[in-house]
Amino acid sequence: MIDILLAIPIAAVICLLLFGSIDFFWKLPKTGGVSGANAIEKAIENTGGDKNGGWMIGNIVTSPDASAGTLLAACGFYIWGIPGAIISIVLVFAGARICADKGYAGTSGAFAAAIVIWLLTTFAGFPPESFIVACIIAILFVQGISTKYASRIIGKIWRKLS
Amino acid sequence: MIVEGICVVIAIYCALRAVFERNTLKKLPFLNAMNFAVTGAIVLLMPHPITIGVAIAYFVGSTLESNAIASTIASWEEQ
Repeated sequence: MIDILLAIPIAAVICLLLFGSIDFFWKLPKTGGVSGANAIEKAIENTGGDKNGGWMIGNIVTSPDASAGTLLAACGFYIWGIPGAIISIVLVFAGARICADKGYAGTSGAFAAAIVIWLLTTFAGFPPESFIVACIIAILFVQGISTKYASRIIGKIWRKLS
Repeated sequence: MIVEGICVVIAIYCALRAVFERNTLKKLPFLNAMNFAVTGAIVLLMPHPITIGVAIAYFVGSTLESNAIASTIASWEEQ
């Protein structure tokens, strides 16, 4: 078993790459999914942020996306192992429908996270609770430090990849 | 207790950032990060199978609230 203080930063990078790549795959920075996401994008853009990054942040706020799926799959896995992760995937799917989200970013994010967490806890010795904290730290860097700079970085990566 | 402590500290930090942010729409990303931290704290402090449902209900409910606030402000701006 890896020490928790060492596992958390490694798991944070893995979580950030995992939900970032799934959100980019489902084209979250391309446009706002609901009217609220467009409003948040405008507010971020008005204060010097980036358009595409603003849409991604808006979409993360207004519906459960891959980052929410990663966190909730980690929570389910921590409590009840694989059955807990499956319950999380089903409930994230229902949650996305409740929030009028037509996409599958949250469901696929929860599914991918459940597989990654199972692999890393079973074969690499990561403690399951490290993924819960890691996902919270990862989302703190996207949403909680500075939306202006986070949106600019997301926008730059999105334009390079697309 | 380290993991629970990190979650609670992040939740308090994000709550304070949301309180001191003036623009309502720009409060929502901080509230979203706070909801992540609170969901994590719920699960870490009460590890029981029913907690999975509780945590997801809290998270989806709070996301729906953010969605409703942002949509309402968007419709005001359109009018």
